[in-house]
Amino acid sequence: MRWATRRHCHVDRAACAWLISRRVDSDAAFVFVDDPDEVPQDATPFDMRGVELGHHGDRCSFETMLAHFGLDDPVLWDLARIVHEADLGDERFDAPEAVGLDVICRGLSMIHDVDEALLAVTDSIFDGLYEHRRRGLLLGRDPA
Amino acid sequence: MERVRWVFLAYRLPREPSTPRITVWRKLRRLGVVQVVDGLVALPLDARTREQLEWIADEVLDAGGESSLWIAEAASARVERELAAQLAAAVAAEYVAVIVAAQAAAGESVTHRRRTLAKLRREVHRIRARDFFPPPESELAVAAVEGLAAALEAVSG
Repeated sequence: MRWATRRHCHVDRAACAWLISRRVDSDAAFVFVDDPDEVPQDATPFDMRGVELGHHGDRCSFETMLAHFGLDDPVLWDLARIVHEADLGDERFDAPEAVGLDVICRGLSMIHDVDEALLAVTDSIFDGLYEHRRRGLLLGRDPA
Repeated sequence: MERVRWVFLAYRLPREPSTPRITVWRKLRRLGVVQVVDGLVALPLDARTREQLEWIADEVLDAGGESSLWIAEAASARVERELAAQLAAAVAAEYVAVIVAAQAAAGESVTHRRRTLAKLRREVHRIRARDFFPPPESELAVAAVEGLAAALEAVSG
C-alpha cells in the first residue's frame, strides 16, 4: 500500500512511518508531498491537516494511529507517551525521554534532506526505543 | 535588512460552547503566539510553528469555527519590531518570575531548594520553547537558576 505524508519528517511523522512499516503494512511505500492536494488517489494520508490519521483533540498522529488500528500493545502506548511529549510538549505525560528524542530527530532532519534516508535512521531509533521500553515494562524498572 | 517571515492564524470560534475556545487559547498561549488583533495570532515562521498552528487551525474547524493560515512579512520594519517586542516582553515576564522564585529559594532548606531547582530548570526549558527573540532576562534567569545549583553544590560539597 502507498502512504502519503508531508515532506521533512519530524518526530510524530517519523514515529507514524515506523509504526506503519512495523505493525500495519510490511510492504508500505511512502510518498512525501508539500501540500495535501498532492496526495495521490491511491495513497492513505497521515500526519497531515484534515486527515483521519492526524492530530485530533489532544492526540498526536501516533496516538491517533494506535487507536485507529486497534493496536493495544502496551509498549506502543508507552512509546506514544514519549512521542506525544516530543511533539507537543504539553506535559500531559511524564516523559523525560521526550526532550532528547525531539532534539535527535531535529538534528537528523538537518543532515538528511531526503525523507527516505531520514526514516531509515529514525526507524532504527524507534526499534531501539521500543526494545528499551519493552524490557522496561517487563522488568518494572529501566533496563540496564 | 531581511524581514522576519511570520505564520499567521486567522480564526473565529462560536461563542458557545466555551470549552473549545478555552482549549484553543490555552494551546496558542503555550506556543507563545502574539495576538495582532482579536482572532489573528502570529509566530515567527519555521517548520515547527507552522505545523503547530496548522493543527490548531484544524481544531478550530472541527469545533465548528473558521480558520485560515497565512505566511507573511510585515510591510514596515516598525510593525515587525513591535511584534517581536511583544513576543520578547511576554517571555521576559516569565523569566522574571523564574528569577524571583530562584532568589526566594535562597533561604530555604536544602531539600526544598533542590526541589525548587529542578522545577525552575524545567520552567526555563518550557519558556525557551516559545522564546523566539531572547530578551536579556533569558540569560539572567539561567544565571539565577544555575546560581541556586552552585549554592547547593557548595553545601553538599
